[in-house]
Amino acid sequence: MTVAAESVPMALAAILGDAQVVSEPAACAAWAVGGKVPKYGVEPPTAECVAAVLKMAADHDLAVIPCGSGTKLGLGSPPSRYDLSVSLRKLNRVRHYEAADLTISVEAGMKLGELQDFLGRDGLWLPLDPRGGAAATIGGILASNSSGPLRLRFGSARDMVLGIRVATTEGKLIKSGGRVVKNVAGYDMCKLLVGSYGTLGLIVEASFKLFPRPASRATWVLEPGTLGRARDLRGRILNSPLEPLRMVLLDSGASGLFRQGTHPGEEPELWIEAGGSPRILERHAKDLAEIGQSMGVASRRMDEQAEQRLWDQLISFEQSLAALHAEVMVLKAALPIAGSEQFLSLARQAAEGEGVRMAGIAQPGVGIVHLGLWAERLGDVTERLVTNVRKSAVSLGGALVVERYPEGFQRERDVWGTPGDVLHSMRGLKAVWDPRGILSPGRFVGGI
Amino acid sequence: MKLAALVRKLEKMLGREAVLWRPNDVMLYEYDGLSSLRPPDVVVFPRNTVDVVQIVKFAADHKLLVVPRGAGTGLSGGSLPWQGGILVAFARMKEIVEIDLENQRARVQPGVVNLDLSLAVSDAGYYFAPDPSSQKACTLGGNVAENAGGPHTLLYGVTTNHVLGLEVVLPSGEVIHTGGKFLDPPGYDLTGLFVGSEGTLGIVTEITVRLMRKAEAVATLLAVYDRIIDATRTVAAITARGITPAALEMIDGFTLRAIEEATHAGYPMDSAAVLLIEIEGLKEAVEENAQHIESVCQENRVRQVRRAKSAEERDLFWKGRKNAFGALGRISPSYYVQDGVIPRTRLPEMLEFIEQTATKYGVKIGNIFHAGDGNLHPIILFDRRDENESKRVREAAAQILARCIDMGGSITGEHGVGIEKINLMPYLFSADDLDMMRKIKEVFNPEGRFNPGKVLPTSKMCGELRAEARVGGVL
Repeated sequence: MTVAAESVPMALAAILGDAQVVSEPAACAAWAVGGKVPKYGVEPPTAECVAAVLKMAADHDLAVIPCGSGTKLGLGSPPSRYDLSVSLRKLNRVRHYEAADLTISVEAGMKLGELQDFLGRDGLWLPLDPRGGAAATIGGILASNSSGPLRLRFGSARDMVLGIRVATTEGKLIKSGGRVVKNVAGYDMCKLLVGSYGTLGLIVEASFKLFPRPASRATWVLEPGTLGRARDLRGRILNSPLEPLRMVLLDSGASGLFRQGTHPGEEPELWIEAGGSPRILERHAKDLAEIGQSMGVASRRMDEQAEQRLWDQLISFEQSLAALHAEVMVLKAALPIAGSEQFLSLARQAAEGEGVRMAGIAQPGVGIVHLGLWAERLGDVTERLVTNVRKSAVSLGGALVVERYPEGFQRERDVWGTPGDVLHSMRGLKAVWDPRGILSPGRFVGGI
Repeated sequence: MKLAALVRKLEKMLGREAVLWRPNDVMLYEYDGLSSLRPPDVVVFPRNTVDVVQIVKFAADHKLLVVPRGAGTGLSGGSLPWQGGILVAFARMKEIVEIDLENQRARVQPGVVNLDLSLAVSDAGYYFAPDPSSQKACTLGGNVAENAGGPHTLLYGVTTNHVLGLEVVLPSGEVIHTGGKFLDPPGYDLTGLFVGSEGTLGIVTEITVRLMRKAEAVATLLAVYDRIIDATRTVAAITARGITPAALEMIDGFTLRAIEEATHAGYPMDSAAVLLIEIEGLKEAVEENAQHIESVCQENRVRQVRRAKSAEERDLFWKGRKNAFGALGRISPSYYVQDGVIPRTRLPEMLEFIEQTATKYGVKIGNIFHAGDGNLHPIILFDRRDENESKRVREAAAQILARCIDMGGSITGEHGVGIEKINLMPYLFSADDLDMMRKIKEVFNPEGRFNPGKVLPTSKMCGELRAEARVGGVL
């Protein structure tokens, strides 16, 4: 359907009311993605409105990028086109909550921090510590399957979602799954939508299983000296009966940023957090000390006052780097578990070879590694570096995604890498959900 | 294509020993946990992915139906070739391709038996967490197809939480590889979509799974009750206190007496219900939780809490639970197992409803189920030769599942939709929901030749199925 441009605001206003449609360029600039500023921005107040807006956008061939708090808008390739920002911020209600069942249904615009505060009153939580932290919205976390170090113990958002409600480009609201903790009726469209980066439909509501908050938590720091010894240490901890909540390995560049160790030089640090009763924490303290001793490495309890702050800073290390340096790139490698330390050392070689500084933070219990890379000017080094570091990840049996790229780095294939023999199937699914290609066009794998 | 020509071509492709076609032979493949509608035209036994691709391409060229089958232990008819066609049986694809303990992964062919994988890594201190009651027989390919559960999925999640990669042969013969040993593969989560798709999107030929380290300590408790309501209240209270045992099973008095007579698991014959509760983890955590759970039991009028003193006693407690269906088979010519799910807080009222339903329809219903995650398995005993009774059984089952849906629950927690629950799908999902699932199916299986007539209802098929159910009995 071809429609005159001036009818777009009218069509949006017909769905949302005049006051709800933003079209001043200065205001729209707040929703810019990859240098592109949308022509319009809306914040629909209900799921039904989101569906109506999507249908209208499909009818008018408007390219839509959804957003919540915007903490992860930079993830993915720059869009090939972008007309309309659909913010889900106003969808921020709890729809169904049964504390005794350990389940909750919330709208997608709710911020994780608000949700945790709400659940905290009953001693519960959703054990996720994603990029963006408390500000990240549920919709954004799900769209990007964003997770943090808590994944070691609890899995990612993918594993906690019981059901979702999705607005489609046909203007429908459809559901998958439900509110109960076990459910295999029909295709698991939750899995398909979680991590689809807003390219299939807009998740407007989600149900989760909940967990009791640990009674108390404590973090220990061990300094193995080298990455090789860090690998040994990690293996011994994973093979011990201990059940930590989180475990991260900061390489020499990263431990310099968050220095907790005692050594004057910048050496790798392993942070291990446990949760539970005092007896369980004591057990972790004792066993970690023993495991450390077996390798001649001291284990030290992190300053209790600083713990929470340090973990939060670690999770948002990208912001710290961006505040300090003009050009920052962030890469995420997903690897077989045992490859984390070797990857860190290969990546450091590649970075140093190009005169680029690097901070590496690995979750060595699950095989996820984040690299922060910076220099005066990254410039044309960027592409070569991504290629080399990706080669290392692939050679270790994993994959690499660019999570933050410096200005000028615009090539979609470089952001996601090559998806292999599944691209045809993925394109088929995209065509079913979004036949006109209006949702986050060009942002995902293979130019989807 | 004529049967003789079909058989000749398949025998030429796979060897004579890899093809069954005589009526007496194929008859063995006309049922799984559900009973027969009709046998397949031919059964083939591929040895590897290359064989599967050949079979699938051959079927595509001749527009033949293809139905995959593991051990045939499924309870919803997922592997029934009820419209005929080629049945692809995975009995010869049972190799554990790789055990990679350092990365906590294994790669297996789909015909590997669930328990065999755990046994293969047991000495090293690892296991595969999903443990369906049929784990001694059921295959991992079938587990993937149905997204199988089991008692210990309460704490560790169902099959989909433990599968990281798949090799899949699509109906076109194209082979794709989803995921792998690492997490978060870029792109759509096809692995997650394929798990639980019941063989309607493609045939899985290799599976990459997560292996878990065995916990340091395990405590197995048997809590004995004089009233069912106290047992169900205990379950709700354990959940509400935020304790997640590794497993939390309930068996009612009627069922446990049948079990006790068959397996001598040591269940008290005069009780109204028992809870089988298992707690795993760090020694200290297990002790704390065991004490906590015992006090919850006491608050809910438990008669006695017994704790397994040895691995042998623990196995005995579980033997009763895992062999329950067989035990009921001893006392009834037929039984029909349901798989509804409800919010856990609603267990007490649901059990009352089941009892009322049994009385109303004049049928006997036993209850043995995964109480901790609200996954009910009411077992309705009957004699299929009695048409009137069979009808009442179907009606009672439908009432129970309708109640599950009303409570915000589901019609299946782990057994799958298959043929059995296909007509219930419209009660759980809107026309728009189902329409999207159909479109997803068409991306992979546009001609509907792969496992036809499963999971998603079509208006035409619903009529046919109802007719079949009336004459043959899907039950």
